[in-house]
Amino acid sequence: MSGRSFHSLFMVASCAGAALGCYLVSLRVASERAALEAVETKIVLAQRDLRVLQTEIGTRGRLAQLERWNVKVLALSAPGANQFLDGGFALAKLTRPDQKVDFQAPVVLASAPAPAPKAAPIGAPDTDEAGAPTAQSPRALIHEASLKTETREVPVKPVAEMPQTTVAKSTDRPVTAAKPVTKKSADKPGLAAAKTIEKKSVDKPLTIAAKPVTKPVRLAKNDPLAPLSEQHSHSTSKDPSPAR
Amino acid sequence: MNAPSPALVAPRPERLRLVGQRRQMLAVMHQRLMFGMLVYAGIVGLIAVRILWLAAFGDHAGRKEGLTSLVPDRGDIVDREGQPLARTIDAWTIAVHPRKIIGDRLEIARRLAELMPERTEEQYFALLRSNKPFFYLRRRASPGLVEAVNALGEPGLAIEREPDRLYPQTSLASHVLGFTDIDGHGAAGVERAFDKYLSDPATRGKPLQLSISSRIQQALEHELGDALTTFSAIGAAGVVMDVHTGEVLAMTSLPSINPNTPGQGTPEAHFNRATLGVFELGSTFKPFTVAMAMDSDVIKSVGQIYNCPHAFPVYGHVIHDTHPMGRPCTVAEIMMESSNIGTAQIADQLGTARQKAWLKKMGFLDKVEIELRERGRALNPGSRWGPFETMTIGFGQGIAVAPLQLAMGYATLFDGGVYHPPTILKRGPDNPLPAGRRVFSEDTSYRMRALLRLVVTKGTGKKADAPGYRIGGKTGTAQKLINGRYSQTVNITSFAGVFPMDDPRYVIVVMLDEPKATKDTYGFTTAGWNVAPVVSRTVGRIAPMLGVAPNMNREPNMGEVMPFVHETKE
Repeated sequence: MSGRSFHSLFMVASCAGAALGCYLVSLRVASERAALEAVETKIVLAQRDLRVLQTEIGTRGRLAQLERWNVKVLALSAPGANQFLDGGFALAKLTRPDQKVDFQAPVVLASAPAPAPKAAPIGAPDTDEAGAPTAQSPRALIHEASLKTETREVPVKPVAEMPQTTVAKSTDRPVTAAKPVTKKSADKPGLAAAKTIEKKSVDKPLTIAAKPVTKPVRLAKNDPLAPLSEQHSHSTSKDPSPAR
Repeated sequence: MNAPSPALVAPRPERLRLVGQRRQMLAVMHQRLMFGMLVYAGIVGLIAVRILWLAAFGDHAGRKEGLTSLVPDRGDIVDREGQPLARTIDAWTIAVHPRKIIGDRLEIARRLAELMPERTEEQYFALLRSNKPFFYLRRRASPGLVEAVNALGEPGLAIEREPDRLYPQTSLASHVLGFTDIDGHGAAGVERAFDKYLSDPATRGKPLQLSISSRIQQALEHELGDALTTFSAIGAAGVVMDVHTGEVLAMTSLPSINPNTPGQGTPEAHFNRATLGVFELGSTFKPFTVAMAMDSDVIKSVGQIYNCPHAFPVYGHVIHDTHPMGRPCTVAEIMMESSNIGTAQIADQLGTARQKAWLKKMGFLDKVEIELRERGRALNPGSRWGPFETMTIGFGQGIAVAPLQLAMGYATLFDGGVYHPPTILKRGPDNPLPAGRRVFSEDTSYRMRALLRLVVTKGTGKKADAPGYRIGGKTGTAQKLINGRYSQTVNITSFAGVFPMDDPRYVIVVMLDEPKATKDTYGFTTAGWNVAPVVSRTVGRIAPMLGVAPNMNREPNMGEVMPFVHETKE
């Protein structure tokens, strides 16, 4: 038997094989499609459930029901015309009441012109350009702000004694000074406020005078180990002095 | 080679004949066989091709069609914000096949009577023993009941799901929505008007979007319902409309029905007063008369003087005023004090022919234009339309229109005088705004603003004012025609308002049918006492939702009318 007689058989077999292969691919595609459709069906079923639940919620929370609750219990009403604001500016205007602090401020404002001349020399070099006056005024105001706290409690002296170097530390002092004052007032309730103020004014210049002078001197001179003990001793020595 | 050669053996003639026959027969057989095989191969081939075709492009056996897309049995109806107003859900039904029952009928009847007490045990037993093939026990049954019936375990009891129409907002906008009959076809309202759209498989997948806003509808219904009970009125109607597009934002008629159970409503409740009912709406018509006169150059200025005596005898009748002035009065005062006498004179100057032409142009002589089927035809004197009827129509007696038509008239007047037909569907790509037709001139439209605002700030409609929202409008108290005679005590009160008046955007029309006087109204039943406060409260609620910002510093140009108002009297 020659190969030629099997030729047709081979042809048939190969055709069948090819057809089977194609069919398998098609089957695979069909199964994938079925899986996809199963997912799609699931999605649709989920959507249907969503719809049912949404309908139920919508029915239970219907507007007529909400209105009934509002009439019986909540008693909310529509906002009046005066409850609407035009925008951010109108909203900002509502926060006005916080400015009550300004009642004490007039004293501060009175002292404001005093530091102004100090600020002037600082601002002076900037005035080379055209917009000089506008550049000066905000800076001057910033300096006034830091000075206000001094002038409120210590009227005249600090300005006179310590012109510019003490400005940065001025914030620390009132805190240290304030604590002893309260102690005093607790110890001697009968005393008038005026006396404590006098004592404050006496104490503060002392501390003001001590701190700026002593600190730089000691830190520069002594060894790293020695000043620690000395500082402790100084701090203890400082404490009694305001206590007096 | 043992076969005898034909040359050696002499062929016998009969044998020769036989061979010839056999050959012929064989040929025929071959032919037939071949034909049969071809047919067979053709069928097999066809099947093979079909199988291949199906394998390549066809659906497989497990495919479930219909579930791949969520198309309800009837389209949804949603409001302009997309909130569902009508939906189709799968409801449970309990039915019975009496012939298929295998259990003890008496016992089943007893259990059914316990579960569904609307029928007695005897009735259930009679039903179960009857020869009918099928009947419903309960439609739209609750899941708990279904579970209990299922637990009876009787195969003759059928528990099925069937599509059912549900209106989640119950009676909200019930007259707009309408309802469906037992077969699921629209029987009223939008359900009837758009039945084809809602039931057509091609279109029902997309919800039908109405121009109604459910929040505004709720506000209107609530405030109007309050007034209805406070003043013991027999009915009420209200419409809120967009001036520029003609969209109906809210439309109600009270008493209303619950479309989930339409059978329970009385015929009175089924009646749509807003579109089907036509009423003589009284003085709310006066602005139209004045506007017509302005456009026809009869009124050249709102300061034009008319004589306004206490009583005005004309054509054998006497016209009276509710706020008699007894002195010459300007057009501004006629509007402000709602003077019948003054308006009658204006209408008389206008004349019957021109009045008819104007009313025709405004659509007051025809059916109201809206998609709903419940549309009333406006009534007018017809052939009796003489000079006296012209006068009475001038102040709103003798012509009956639907409240929606009145709203439409006000929308026309304040949309720069351009008429747009009202619609219940949201304006958009599917329902574009048609080109309007001009009725009044723009100048007249502008001048009417101050006149109507004057009515609310100083005239009969003071109680309609909502601070900051610049409502302008006109009160109307019409005597009701009872048995052919105008009653002196029974009224229909209405208010037609527009806000904000400095740039009109929305119209609101409110009507009460037969309101009674209360202690708070000091015995009055006029519109200024009962419907005007409804407008004030409703606008106070809905205006912020509609994006109308309250502003105490804005007003229409009141300088046009204030010089012509006589104020020293007060």
